[in-house]
Amino acid sequence: MQGFPGGAPDPQQLQATMLAIEQACSLIQVHMNPSEAEKVISSLHSSLMPYQACRFILETSHVPNARFQAAGAIGDAAVREWGILSDDNKRSLIAYCLNYVMEHASSPEGYVQAKVSAVAARLLKRGWVDFPDQEKSAIFFEVEHSIRGIHGPNRQFAAINFVEALVSEFSPATASAMGLPKEFHEQCEWTLEVKFMKDFYCWAQAAVFNAADSILSGNASIDEEKACSAAFRLMFQILSWSFKYNVEHANSETKIDSGLRSDAINLKKFERSLVKPGSMWSDILISSGHTTWVLNFYTTARQKYSYDPLWFDSPIAASCRQLIVQLCSLAGSVFPNDSGDAHINHLMHILSAVVLWIEPPDVIASSIRNGASESEFLDGCHALLSIASFTTSLLFDNLLKSIRHYGTINLLSALTSEAVKSFVDNQNEEETWGSDALDISLEIWNVILGDFDADKSPMSVDGAIAASNLFKIIVESHLKAAADSAFEDTDDAEYFHVSVSKRDEQLALYAQIARSAADTTIPFLAQLFSERFARLSQTNGENDPTQTLEELYWLLLITSHVLTDSGEGETLLIPEALQAGFPNVVEVAQHPVVTLSWSIINFSRQCLDPGIRARYFSPRLMEAVIWFLARWVATYLVPLDVSRGQVSRAEIDNVDKHGFQHSRKVLNSFAWENNQGELVLDFVVLISMVALTTYQGENELQTLICQKLLATVVRRKHTCTFIVQLDSWRDLTRAFASGRSLFSLSGRLQRSLAETLACAASCIKDPEASVQYLKDLMGPVAGCLVENASRSDLKSVAQKADVVFMVCCLLERLRGAARATQPRTQKVLFEMGHTVMNSLLTLLEVYKNQSAVIYMILKFVVDFVDGQAVFLDSNETSVLVNFCLRLLQIYSSHNIGKVMLSLSSSLRNELQAEKYKDLRALLRLLTNICSKDLVGFLSDSSIEGSQDIAEVIYVGLDIVTPLISLDLLKYPKLSRDYFALVSHLLEVYPEKVANLNNDAFARIIGSLEFGLCNQDSDVVERCLTAVNALASYHFKERLGGRGGLSSQLMESEGSNGTLQESISSHFLRLMLQLLLFEDFRMELAGSAADALLPLLLCEHGLYQGLVQELLEKQQNPTVKSRLAMAFHNLTNSNNLSSLLDRPNRQRFRKNLRAFLGDISGFMQIK
Amino acid sequence: MSDSEEHHFESKADAGASKTYPQQAGTIRKNGYIVIKNRPCKVVEVSTSKTGKHGHAKCHFVAIDIFTGKKLEDIVPSSHNCDVPHVNRTEYQLIDISEDGFVSLLTENGNTKDDLKLPTDDNLLSQIKDGFGEGKDLVVTVMSAMGEEQICALKDVGPK
Repeated sequence: MQGFPGGAPDPQQLQATMLAIEQACSLIQVHMNPSEAEKVISSLHSSLMPYQACRFILETSHVPNARFQAAGAIGDAAVREWGILSDDNKRSLIAYCLNYVMEHASSPEGYVQAKVSAVAARLLKRGWVDFPDQEKSAIFFEVEHSIRGIHGPNRQFAAINFVEALVSEFSPATASAMGLPKEFHEQCEWTLEVKFMKDFYCWAQAAVFNAADSILSGNASIDEEKACSAAFRLMFQILSWSFKYNVEHANSETKIDSGLRSDAINLKKFERSLVKPGSMWSDILISSGHTTWVLNFYTTARQKYSYDPLWFDSPIAASCRQLIVQLCSLAGSVFPNDSGDAHINHLMHILSAVVLWIEPPDVIASSIRNGASESEFLDGCHALLSIASFTTSLLFDNLLKSIRHYGTINLLSALTSEAVKSFVDNQNEEETWGSDALDISLEIWNVILGDFDADKSPMSVDGAIAASNLFKIIVESHLKAAADSAFEDTDDAEYFHVSVSKRDEQLALYAQIARSAADTTIPFLAQLFSERFARLSQTNGENDPTQTLEELYWLLLITSHVLTDSGEGETLLIPEALQAGFPNVVEVAQHPVVTLSWSIINFSRQCLDPGIRARYFSPRLMEAVIWFLARWVATYLVPLDVSRGQVSRAEIDNVDKHGFQHSRKVLNSFAWENNQGELVLDFVVLISMVALTTYQGENELQTLICQKLLATVVRRKHTCTFIVQLDSWRDLTRAFASGRSLFSLSGRLQRSLAETLACAASCIKDPEASVQYLKDLMGPVAGCLVENASRSDLKSVAQKADVVFMVCCLLERLRGAARATQPRTQKVLFEMGHTVMNSLLTLLEVYKNQSAVIYMILKFVVDFVDGQAVFLDSNETSVLVNFCLRLLQIYSSHNIGKVMLSLSSSLRNELQAEKYKDLRALLRLLTNICSKDLVGFLSDSSIEGSQDIAEVIYVGLDIVTPLISLDLLKYPKLSRDYFALVSHLLEVYPEKVANLNNDAFARIIGSLEFGLCNQDSDVVERCLTAVNALASYHFKERLGGRGGLSSQLMESEGSNGTLQESISSHFLRLMLQLLLFEDFRMELAGSAADALLPLLLCEHGLYQGLVQELLEKQQNPTVKSRLAMAFHNLTNSNNLSSLLDRPNRQRFRKNLRAFLGDISGFMQIK
Repeated sequence: MSDSEEHHFESKADAGASKTYPQQAGTIRKNGYIVIKNRPCKVVEVSTSKTGKHGHAKCHFVAIDIFTGKKLEDIVPSSHNCDVPHVNRTEYQLIDISEDGFVSLLTENGNTKDDLKLPTDDNLLSQIKDGFGEGKDLVVTVMSAMGEEQICALKDVGPK
């Protein structure tokens, strides 16, 4: 071949290379000495001009792997040596690869062919900008002919394959690296999309069209079918391209009226996005009837091959269906700018074909259960989901009505029922078709019911009936499954928690369906409950109630989801669907939501009776009851003024809708009527007490009480003010403060309980009573700790397990209370902390070898400082600071230089882990103390106090930094804490840093350097802040004629070996490197500008030099001038001055953003 | 015991006699101590399960013998009590290492304690011997529980 690169081949050497590569390939395959073999292969990839050898291997070797490697080597070498290849060389390499795939099109080793195609595509892209248009046309002329089938099906397949490779090479996500700037890749992407993509699609269309007849008549050869399915695949791939260069219509009103959604949803969950090729594609995709043709083709083919169950999974069927599903996602200006008719027509067409895949659901489901393929059914569900994402629920429902006497929602309901049944039957198996189908169909319901404008287009009557029927089937199937699984053991392994959140997600979707037909589903739930309550009261200890209990458990879960939203951290509202769902109910006693709520709460009340409790309130049932109560209380005990205000306003607004508004009012106020609200709250406290004291060791249940139920009630002011007045609450606090019963809870729970109880203090209106409440609550705890720490025989008893346990409990409680610090309670809690300070130091000494206790002391102090810091005056500050200083000193005297010895490596690891936790706690403590000082700067803090703080922090840092290695900084949590501290510190005390000794200074700077290159953008941001603080300080000092940081030198890698230089020049180098050559994240541009500006101002001379150096390195004159321009604008535009004031920083931020935008196109290389 | 009573550490006169203390299984956490098969152990893993969905919770402990490093497991209903060993750690100055593998330690009140053997494991042994050989001032921590003792940590307190 003319122009093929490389000198005249030496046959012997070629033979030898081939043998070596063949041997290496076969060694890798049997996994013998793979690293050696890889070396041989990579030497081929990196050798100079390996083209002749590769060609020889491709043409003569019988080892397909060797051919594969040879092809790859051609690609790598050519991209690397592109500069030294002549134009002839380049052209002939591409031509050679293309000819090779065409000539060997019938070869059985598809992967070798695919690789050679990919190499051809890669080289074509590499030369894309340089090659003149007619050359490219010549190549594509050949390719087009082959795709149209002129040279037979094998060449057709090979050509399609090549175009596939080309499209994926040009798509940014799948492009291979070429060492070229981003702009090059963008330009390639643009020309391919605008000039070629549509042609490719037409060729593929033609290929399918030509093969269609023979396939439908059953005469197609295997090769023909293969080519045809490849063409479908190519069309799918082209439609998956993310089109960028198209113009969209403005959204018109008429379109919205037609029932298409204005806010088409992106279905991220199933990795689907809209396909918007733009108006250019309208003719081939829409007006030519292409979609209809594809649909007809599939429909005819599936009829013809219906005798063959394997056909549905054949490549041609699968790829054709894939294309159809993708066609569903077409959107935007590819449709004419009419009132949406064309789009609706398009969807209707697809639906009328797809409906055959999923209807009737029960028949299809049973045939799948008997072994038929499920892929068509699942694809049908996917298509339905795409359609739903474009339409309002009304339009969605109507789409099917033109060809059936029922709506789409009806079909969806039937389909979902089948999926639920199959899912429930195979719950213990993973990845069944049932669970896939259920996921998709629930997502469809979510899309229809979560429609933003649901008010405007309510569900149709038969839609509601369908939803209601579906919900009944869902509940019945799950109840049956619950009863069947009641005797299985449960595990709370990790996957269990994962599956719980998955289950909750599913239940929430079920609940959405139930709410859409609330008027029938809520009474249905009520009826199921009453049946089971009755069944329980009839079991007189004779029948085993377990199955009923499990059914109740599931019912409680689903009912909680139906009646309430989960809304973590938000103010919960009564679900709108329930408020609007009962317009005809006027009487409170007849409102289904009301009756259902009271029947569950009244049933739960029975657990207060010890006899009944023992008979059927199992721990698991209690968990569900508590969970239900927590959500119910948070939703239905609506703040009184809010509910009244809302309703009265509504009444004035709408007189005609009186009944409708009345039912809302009923729902918003029923819970407080006749003292019910107070009774419920009293019950909440009583049931908590029962669960905490009589369900010993049931951690799951007790966690729900402490962290969910009580926390919910206390967090809301309107419920909390009620609850603190209750006698039962007083009993609970008394039991906590001075009883023994609650010491049986695990430490963690005692902490959250203490936090909750202490939080309630801020809802006691009278300030004195509030103080007294806290004193009564925490006084005994603190007192007990003090009393015991000052015992004379402490040393001899301290190490006993019971004593250790007690100390831990007390510390946990103190910590819980410290976390509850609020403005109103701060003083009392500071007193509490103050009284235990000395005891804590004693305990720190006594328990120096009990790491668990030490950790708890540290954690208490961390939380205590965190809560208190912002409130303290200078006296209190100095008390706290002195305490922290002594704490740190004692800790360091015990821990510096200690080596743990243990036989067991896992015990040693545990010890390491404990040290790591201590370290994090110390970092947190220092950061919290630091934050005090930041606040102090704003107010009038005494100078004396802040010096104290600086001392603590430097003692602390002295302890902490030697323990922190760069390895440890790879742990994300630790590194975040550490850099938060360092940046804090440098902002507040840069002058202290100047005085640090060299070791300590180098440690901090070293870690900053490490942090700047971190993946975590939080960490990088912190480091940039720190650099900014350091450089700004240096600049200001020098402006004032002082030395700043000049005394601190740094070794750094300069252009001529290592050199000693100042900190500012060191970081300047680093920053330029980061900004120009690394993949710098734009969101950090602001902080980077802040850090760079003072560096620039400090080291102007060096900066100029570095810029000059960079410019000289550039070979390409255009790049050079653009870079020079960018640098010029960076420092000269926007009237940048040489000050560090705010306006100037803002200007520089703007400049740097523009600079980064400018250079990223040609400086960033892929 | 009435509910209003203050909490005191319950060390009775004969407290020294007891080597363990009962504690509810549900409150024993990872990193806590526990007695399994009459051996003092440190818990490295706790998981809970239920006997039948509506039964009571059980704790499954995986723990490591603090002296031998052997792994032991136990399952206990979470409301029942487990034995928790009293684990004591005392620091002594290391005075001497004798030929026969015993160490000589200085106690707080000035006496010596000579009944403790060096660990048999080569690795641990060399860590102690090397430090001592280099003439460092070493403090060793001795861990004792249920009548057994072992050196568990080492610290250089020598002048810098």
